[in-house]
Amino acid sequence: MIGIDRRLLQNVDWPLIGTGLGFAVLSGLTLANLQVGRVAGSVAIRQLVWFAIGLVALLVVASIDYRKLVRIAPAIYLLGLAALVAVFVFGRTVSGARRWIVIGSVSVQPSELFKIAFVLMAVWVLTSRWAQPIGRFTLLLVLPVTAIPFVLIMKQPDLGTALLLFPVLIALLVGAGIRVRLLGAMFLAGLAMLPLAWFLLKDYQRERILVYLDPFRDPLGTAYNVIQAKIAIGSGQLLGKGVAGATQSRLAFLPERHTDFIFAVFAEMWGFVGCLILLACYAFLLLRGFDIAASTSEPVGRLVALGATSMLGAQVLINVGMVTGLLPVVGVPLPLMSYGGTSVLCSLMGLGLLVSVRMRQFQ
Amino acid sequence: MSGGRGFDPRLRPTPGRRDPGQRRIIVIAGVVAFGLLLIVGQLWYLQVLEGGRFLDASDKNRIRIRPIAAPRGILFDRHGVPLVDNRPAFTLSIIPRELDNRDAVLGRLSTLLGLPYQELVDAVGRVAPDSFLPVRIRRGLTMEDVAKVEEWKIELPGIIVEVEPQRAYPTSRFAAHLLGYVREASDEQMKQGRYRRGELVGQTGLERLLDEFLRGRDGGERIEVDAMGRPIRLVQQTEPHPGAEVVTTIDRRIQEVAEKAMEGKAGAVVVMDPRNGDVLALVSTPAFPIDQFTGNIDRSAWLRMVQDPQHPLLNRASQAQYPPGSVFKIILMAAGLQEGTITPMDRVHCPGHFDYGGRTWKDWKKEGHGSVDMRRAIAQSCDVYFYQHGLKIGGTAIAKYAKAFGFAAPTGIELGTEKIGLMPEPKPRVKGDRKSRPWTGGDTLNVSIGQGAVLVTPMQVARMMTAVANGGVLWKPRLVQRIERPEQGVVFRDPGHVNGHVELSPAVWAVIRDGLWAVVNDWGTGGAARIPGLDVAGKTGTAQTIANSRADRGEDHAWFAAFAPLKDPQVVVVVLVERGGHGGEVAAPIAKRIFNAIFYEKVARVGFPG
Repeated sequence: MIGIDRRLLQNVDWPLIGTGLGFAVLSGLTLANLQVGRVAGSVAIRQLVWFAIGLVALLVVASIDYRKLVRIAPAIYLLGLAALVAVFVFGRTVSGARRWIVIGSVSVQPSELFKIAFVLMAVWVLTSRWAQPIGRFTLLLVLPVTAIPFVLIMKQPDLGTALLLFPVLIALLVGAGIRVRLLGAMFLAGLAMLPLAWFLLKDYQRERILVYLDPFRDPLGTAYNVIQAKIAIGSGQLLGKGVAGATQSRLAFLPERHTDFIFAVFAEMWGFVGCLILLACYAFLLLRGFDIAASTSEPVGRLVALGATSMLGAQVLINVGMVTGLLPVVGVPLPLMSYGGTSVLCSLMGLGLLVSVRMRQFQ
Repeated sequence: MSGGRGFDPRLRPTPGRRDPGQRRIIVIAGVVAFGLLLIVGQLWYLQVLEGGRFLDASDKNRIRIRPIAAPRGILFDRHGVPLVDNRPAFTLSIIPRELDNRDAVLGRLSTLLGLPYQELVDAVGRVAPDSFLPVRIRRGLTMEDVAKVEEWKIELPGIIVEVEPQRAYPTSRFAAHLLGYVREASDEQMKQGRYRRGELVGQTGLERLLDEFLRGRDGGERIEVDAMGRPIRLVQQTEPHPGAEVVTTIDRRIQEVAEKAMEGKAGAVVVMDPRNGDVLALVSTPAFPIDQFTGNIDRSAWLRMVQDPQHPLLNRASQAQYPPGSVFKIILMAAGLQEGTITPMDRVHCPGHFDYGGRTWKDWKKEGHGSVDMRRAIAQSCDVYFYQHGLKIGGTAIAKYAKAFGFAAPTGIELGTEKIGLMPEPKPRVKGDRKSRPWTGGDTLNVSIGQGAVLVTPMQVARMMTAVANGGVLWKPRLVQRIERPEQGVVFRDPGHVNGHVELSPAVWAVIRDGLWAVVNDWGTGGAARIPGLDVAGKTGTAQTIANSRADRGEDHAWFAAFAPLKDPQVVVVVLVERGGHGGEVAAPIAKRIFNAIFYEKVARVGFPG
């Protein structure tokens, strides 16, 4: 399965892998400067261990022909669904949400890993015989494939990850060549469904959206995170306060500071300039991913690259958007920065898919 | 070289020949790029345009995070009476970040309350100087001290007094070994990473065994405070979750009676239910003042406790081992009858001594017991009878039955490290091992009366007695019936475990029980435990203390192991008094008081409902 041709090795996208690993340094340094939990530093070390594991996963994914992966996508997808169901049975509850499965001393978040499975499955459906030509019938095929995991992940509840499926789906539909008019109709239908979705949300999720619309609705409770994050980011000013001066982050005013709100920590420490560098790194990764998609004429590879890139891109935009107060707070980690093994693993596997497509586009 | 491939213009389709799919991807990339630009715009606004304002806000951010300690779970006795409770207590804490002039404030506090200055400096020095979390200095502050601190509040920035739940005990030494004490996590425990600084942790007894259940989840408050440290508003609050409630098997009344009966003596009492292995009372004396450990015990008091020759911290019921003395004769009866080496009718003439191996082995009664059968021999605890039959039975069989009754094995009681005692037995001599001494008949004689190298714990004797009472079932001593959490209901239930069976024929059990009844009720050595109207069966023991150990104190260990009523045994009581003298004179009356309390007051309770 892992047959490596010399021609393939010549086309390995080293800058892409290098940038991915560059994030290990940024993430590790940021985490090391936070006193999280009872033993300082161990979070950073664990994160680096996950980066190491993720690098291996990246290389393994890259060495496998992505067409083979797409061919077995239904099996991967069903396995992923099974894991999502298993979360309800064996899952561990952390602050009210059942998202983790504990295997030995490691807890795994199946919804994170499912993102990869979803990309592969969506590509499989869109490139299958039955989906051609791309039209209304394609939508009928692809919607249940999205809706089932959406409901399962929503129920954990993990609104952020569940919502992520849609931008990816839309990007893939656009890439597959859906007509603009049909997409518009889908959008309108989705808009019409919104009131219904309101009833599906948990109270705290509704509260977050209301707080987003009106931050002064509840300055003590839910808006606390948003206000503190804004103070942290803003007080970083142009050049940042450095590690020692980052009182917002180090004094624990900031909630979830090592996971979803890590961008605020980074912004406080390194200021506007630091943020620009970080965002430039993401921009490089994303534009490179889109470039790989655009320069691949083979349809499966193009969609795989597009799906993996839009998955990363959507997470970056949603996370930074919510931390900077542009979007309501939904729990989405910042890829390659937030503390979390499964998230790191999943993001690096996404990069692995990109590398895989790039390697094989000239065959 | 290979890295540049992606941007190699030759490999890219020329702009003029873009396929529609490429155009679509460029649109998506454009959307993403637009999103990133929006974010950059927002960052420009937050960090550059409004940055100064936010920096101000972050400097003024005086949010105090105050942990709210969760009350520890309560331990109840079998009837729902609390064994230990919580009451609010005052805790003195320091918030390092708010100490404006550290040395001056700590100095003032030191003089005000008479606390060692260095201790304060050390406590603050253990955490980061800009920490918001309060560092606890003293628990259990008196009202006077609280008033002093409040009065000088303005001079003491960063010093606060909090109200926290603290363990409250019925009396200072109540069930000390059973419950165990609670103390702040030690440095070692914190190194294991399971506890935070200042967290109260069960260190011994049930408090330690059940610590995970008893410990609640602390809540917390975020309070915004002004420059004086006065709270302005509550920003966020997380409710503490109290610990689980534990229903034990202990009967508080029996525990109290047993403790009272042991007052002034060193030793142990175990009360068990032979029907299910429930431990109804477990006493070890002298006990330690359990309530003194909860606050900050000072070093000298601690050293006094540890170095006390009476060893008050030792749980004598399961962590100390003693020769069983004549209590062990029950094992010989079981072995001899079941193996068929003796019958109840066999008679032995006891002149008060037994000559064997060129030595004279004394009976405890110099003038002898005359001609005795088994019933008389056990009732009078005739040593000569058991010397003779011990030789017939043999050391190997005695050891086999002793082990069947659970000696030289843990009972499974989970209060600290349990001692398992010692049961010597004949072993083939190991060649070349000088220490290996051949087993002699003298060894058998010693073992036959529970002397020599035989060692047991009171808990083991209690478990043996439950087997005698219930016909051979060795229960694992049960201490906890169930654990309940307020919101989850029962989270743990112990249905009881049997960890062994003693297989004896019913006739043998009957002879043993009848003999033990005679000990108390038919001119036996245990007459002091006789209660009219209640058939108590038991065995006394007077164990010689190991030769040349503290000979100056002289006295023997007094044992009494009993159960009642004979026909339908409900309670086993085992009493050990260290260097107390004769079992029948010292231990039996204590057992009688406990039986009296159990059966007579129980009758009264049934008789007058409500």
